[in-house]
Amino acid sequence: MTKTIFAGALAALAMSTGAVAAQDYPTRTINMVIAYSAGGGTDVAARTLVPFIEKYLPGDETIAVINKPGASGELGFAEIAKATPDGYTIGFINTPTSITIPIQREASFAFDQLKPIANVVFDAGSLVALPNNDFGDLAGLVEAAKAAPGTITYGTTGIGSDDHLSMLALQRAAGIELRHVPFGGSSEIRAALLGGHIALGSMNIGEVIDSVNEGELATFGQMGADRWDGAPEVPTFQEQGFDVVSGAYRGIGAPVGLDPAIIETLSTAIGEAVADEEFRAAAAEQALPLDYQNSDDFTATLTDLQGLYQALWDENPWVE
Amino acid sequence: MDILTHLVDGFAAIFTPVVILAMVAGTVMGVLAGALPGLSATMGIAVLIPFTFGMEPLVALGLVAGIYNGAMYGGSIPAILLRIPGTPAGIATVFDGYPMTQQGRARLALRVSLYSSAFGSFVSALCLILLSPPLAALALKFGPSQFFWLAIFGMLCITSVLGGSLSKGLISTCAGLLMGLVGIDQITGAERYTFGSVHLVSGFSIIVVLTGLYAIPPALELAEKALRINSKDLNTGNRADDGFRMRSLLPVWLRSSVIGVIVGIMPGAGGNIAAVISWNEARRRAKEGDCYGKGDPKGVAAAECANNADTAATLIPALTLGVPGSAVAAVIMGVLLVHGLRPGPALFRDTAEITYGFMIAMGVTALMMIPIGALGSRLFINALRLPPLILAPGIIVLTSIGVYTVGNSIVEVWIMMIVGFVGYGMEKLEIPTAPAVLAIILGPMAESELRRSLLISGNDPTIFFTGVVNWIFILLIALMLALPLIRRRKARRAVTENQKVDT
Repeated sequence: MTKTIFAGALAALAMSTGAVAAQDYPTRTINMVIAYSAGGGTDVAARTLVPFIEKYLPGDETIAVINKPGASGELGFAEIAKATPDGYTIGFINTPTSITIPIQREASFAFDQLKPIANVVFDAGSLVALPNNDFGDLAGLVEAAKAAPGTITYGTTGIGSDDHLSMLALQRAAGIELRHVPFGGSSEIRAALLGGHIALGSMNIGEVIDSVNEGELATFGQMGADRWDGAPEVPTFQEQGFDVVSGAYRGIGAPVGLDPAIIETLSTAIGEAVADEEFRAAAAEQALPLDYQNSDDFTATLTDLQGLYQALWDENPWVE
Repeated sequence: MDILTHLVDGFAAIFTPVVILAMVAGTVMGVLAGALPGLSATMGIAVLIPFTFGMEPLVALGLVAGIYNGAMYGGSIPAILLRIPGTPAGIATVFDGYPMTQQGRARLALRVSLYSSAFGSFVSALCLILLSPPLAALALKFGPSQFFWLAIFGMLCITSVLGGSLSKGLISTCAGLLMGLVGIDQITGAERYTFGSVHLVSGFSIIVVLTGLYAIPPALELAEKALRINSKDLNTGNRADDGFRMRSLLPVWLRSSVIGVIVGIMPGAGGNIAAVISWNEARRRAKEGDCYGKGDPKGVAAAECANNADTAATLIPALTLGVPGSAVAAVIMGVLLVHGLRPGPALFRDTAEITYGFMIAMGVTALMMIPIGALGSRLFINALRLPPLILAPGIIVLTSIGVYTVGNSIVEVWIMMIVGFVGYGMEKLEIPTAPAVLAIILGPMAESELRRSLLISGNDPTIFFTGVVNWIFILLIALMLALPLIRRRKARRAVTENQKVDT
């Protein structure tokens, strides 16, 4: 009994200090959890972005990047989800894994334990092949796939990756069946494509655009709702008559229960950081398709996506 | 020429103050680690892996290059002065080095060892730079079926050089294969042997396993043996031997370098084998006046040049195909992985500046050894006086902190400790650890490439038997398997003939 009263008092105290804290947030170092290892795509993007968020946050506090890799990101996402919601633990919540891990298996975090704060990158899916392929364009590919169901091979970065889910979406939308070959990383897909061992590669537009411009690979389109500024010549799948919108969001999230004022502070600072010319130049160099969304928009985006992935899973679970 | 521009970029990238400093520091650390009996290049790099992740890739790789080359030379210091090889590769240096010390010519022996090491390392680095890019280009032709055969071939190579007991080698290999099974199945996405623990979902981190296996057992052994060295033994003698001309060693150096490079490229064999073969070869060609085994500088030169020529060459299959031929190569792959650099053809295209920079650094640190070895010889000799009881706990603490910083996970520190103690036990039981490490890397590779090939072909097994490359591998594998049988047959025939003579 005394314990509950004590706990209640503590909670009340925490809430009152929370309200005070929100006004002069931040007063100490913020930890930014990256669910991937150092040197990976998300890590490099995060470390590029951090100095700019620091610049636009009120005060002179710093942000410490903490890598927490493992279990396809589960360890890192759980670290964010289970942190005290005080604004001092934030981190990258990448799709699809931050949504699909709890769908696929009993996970140590739930999607609704994460509060989306702001999106930074949306890297649309893309489908590539060697320039001298027999399919021509997307319509030609679909025709060929209908003529020989289940024989055309495509490489992805693994079961349940955004590359894989986007191809599941395409196969559903076009009513075709292709043969899936999972690889360990996008450099392996590229090698297998160039060596002629697989017919198609499902990779993100930001990963392939340089090779496409150099003429090393040919793309069948990009899977964003609109064309990305970095690839203005590449048509979207929707433009070509296939209703597929897919890709990977890389945005920042926090544990639920975070003070709305702090969310606002963070979301605004991230927005200003993404708009910074110097950051945009650095992002262009890494071929990062930027797509800022504030907390409300990003929350809506991810909630929609959660519904979509759940429906895909219920219809056809991709992990046995 | 693509390669020329990459080379120029690589040169520009490593001649920055920080990278140069890293190379110098690495070489000094390497010589020290090599000089201390029980510590080796593998161990030095293993302790370093976790710490490199905060560094720029080329700073880390500059350090690694220095340590690797330096340790190979450092191993000769106690081999010459105390008849204790500082690293396994220093074994053949003892044959002529220690007799020279007994004759009061230790200073000359150390000088010969230094120049021979530098020469061997430099030739090896040249071969790495010249052979890797074409091999990497060839690797682009490799598909899943070729990689499958390559992984099988790699595993066979390990077993063929186990020496000693076959069953112990198999125990080690199987342990590695089993550990490689843990985690998410790459092809179906199903979890295997995770026992519901989220920490096992992505399997054992190769970095954690390598660090545990190569940093902890040497530290424990150091504490256990607590080797005390009598200062009086560290006498370099007073004969000056100024009349000795290094140039006279050139033929030995050239031969030994070739032997070292060839042995280095073959998976499984290491610097110690290169050194012994090279020393034997030199002795076989002995002319009048040579006194191999009794203090001939040429003997020291043959051994040290060959074990250093092994260094960069070992990295050729590791960098181009992702198949490490030795424990050191596996550890260096670990450093690359920490930086998100995946060995294979992409290394030479997407991150050419770093890869070429690293290969050049192997050559540059080879040359750096000469001034560092000459100026620091007193320091290195005195390092032998370091009390092991301080060194051993220091290594363990350092390693634990390092592993923690990589994944910010205490579970990984525990895994590293457990693996380390198991590795120590294995060494006590004379079970080699290298097969386990190579099996952790090659096992999953063989499995996923096999299943990937079958996915591509629609379960048609003929995919493994089409194309020239596949057949070359199949023939090599058949040869590897047949060799012991042929040898046994020959031995049996020899025995029966002997019996005939007897009766």
